[in-house]
Amino acid sequence: MDYTALYPEIIVALFALALPAVNLLLKDNKFLAAVSLSGVGLSMLALVMYYVEGLGPLAFDNGLLVLDDFSALFMMIFLAVAFVVILASAKYIEGEKHAAEYYSLILLATVGMMLVAASTDLFVLYIGIEITSLSSYALVAFRKKDIKGAEAATKYFIFGGISSAFTLFGISLVYGVTGTTSFSEIGAAVATLDAYKEMIWLALVMVIVGFGFKVAMVPFHSWAPDVYEGAPTTITALLAAGSKKMGFVAMFKFFLIAMLAIKADWEIVVAVLAIVTMTVGNLAALNQTSIKRMLAYSSIAQAGYILIAVAVGTEYAVTGGIFHILTHAFMKGGAFIIVATLTTVAIGERISDYKGLAKRSNFMAFSMTVLLFSLAGIPPLAGFASKVVLFSSPIMGTVDGSEWMVWLAVAGIINSAISLYYYARVVKYMYVDELEEGAPSEKLKLPRSMVAAVAICVVAIIGIGVFPEYFIQLCQNAAQALFA
Amino acid sequence: MIPLEFVLIISSVLFVIGAAGVILKKNAIVILMSIEIMLNAAIINLVAFSSYFGDATGQGFALFAIGIAAAEVTIALAILLNLNKLRKTVDVDDISLLRW
Repeated sequence: MDYTALYPEIIVALFALALPAVNLLLKDNKFLAAVSLSGVGLSMLALVMYYVEGLGPLAFDNGLLVLDDFSALFMMIFLAVAFVVILASAKYIEGEKHAAEYYSLILLATVGMMLVAASTDLFVLYIGIEITSLSSYALVAFRKKDIKGAEAATKYFIFGGISSAFTLFGISLVYGVTGTTSFSEIGAAVATLDAYKEMIWLALVMVIVGFGFKVAMVPFHSWAPDVYEGAPTTITALLAAGSKKMGFVAMFKFFLIAMLAIKADWEIVVAVLAIVTMTVGNLAALNQTSIKRMLAYSSIAQAGYILIAVAVGTEYAVTGGIFHILTHAFMKGGAFIIVATLTTVAIGERISDYKGLAKRSNFMAFSMTVLLFSLAGIPPLAGFASKVVLFSSPIMGTVDGSEWMVWLAVAGIINSAISLYYYARVVKYMYVDELEEGAPSEKLKLPRSMVAAVAICVVAIIGIGVFPEYFIQLCQNAAQALFA
Repeated sequence: MIPLEFVLIISSVLFVIGAAGVILKKNAIVILMSIEIMLNAAIINLVAFSSYFGDATGQGFALFAIGIAAAEVTIALAILLNLNKLRKTVDVDDISLLRW
């Protein structure tokens, strides 16, 4: 059997399994972080080889898994998120017990996401989702003495368990109607289906509920702010930038490959859910006092934007969706890591704690401003470029009879305007407002590894924003590979 | 051989019982059990369809799903044990520190 298509996953999995053993030899937290970083780096190198050598689509075992432009790009995104999170964690979890297990679980969660990106079969997709979910339940509960973390983990696994039960039931019905679990074969079977259409509709509802929990789609979003607030902040970054994006990959594969033939039946549902999700997320974010909750609701709103890509479902729309997933991973991951960095120097998680931040650390205030403005979609940052592609897709790609999709773009733009209010409020706090009386005012001494992690995100956001063509081309290749 | 419809009715009933348990029960361990019932309903489906088609894929999938469900219970119980140690309760109504 040829394992070439699996090398990126195998490398990360081996490092994940080796880490607890390495811990027996050397108990140094920084060393463990360095080992896991090198694992992620090696895996990225394997993907770079794939791109440079132009190896083309590589299938594993009659197409249970495939390494093509789509999966390679998403693996790259997930690995980049894991890299930034591990880099920031080296300092963030210093002094905690079980560091080896922490890194090991992060790597395993990444393997799960990569498997989802590579899957061409519902079987592998489900197992990938579960690997990621199980690792992240444990990661959310990582601080055993922290009551908030324990409560967040309880909520997370209850909602995650319901989500996986719904997904599995939906998958079993799809298997029952079509007799296969391969996406392309399901797609062919659904296109010529004459009986049991109701069964497929039931399966679609179940899968929408299941994936809806994963991507925090309204009305299945209520867990997200609680879990994001209670989890260790670096893990929040992993959840928001990594495991949520995995849900979108699963949605792209399930809806746009397997269920493309009956798109007319579900597109209106997904479109309405997209509009509701972005509106509820933005309105709830307006009056949050905790920065982590505000970012969590903003993350829900962004999920609504990305859902536009699923609802429109053209190649152009998926290009926009992938591009927005790429930029959002850096924007949200970077923003949460800034929050994590500031908590290590005793700045709290309330938004009012950020008053006068620019006077204490210019770099942190500037980075936060860049990332928040990018989330709002202000040029020349990356969030603007990806929103342009995403929001223009309902207008560019409409076929006859779906002119109503223009409203998706309208809703997205109105929502971006609303969101500017709460992003700009944080920027005002940091730059305009004075420090609170009695608060310490000396310059902050920030841990270097975390500053590096933030810098990677900021550079990526500005770089993608200034030179979007190259990245749009990458995303377009990925979208073509998805539909091929 | 048992007709397919009967098995599907059983699995649907199990799924609904599980879903009702998740919604109505307040004890986190009972909720965990209800989630397991929902997962088992899906697994019954997979095995039933697999034997109906005479295709092994579904049974392989079912085995993996059983393994995943077991792993989920272990992690969930560990989390609940820790919660019980900190809060002296596993009642979901008392899990109320995180609100807006």
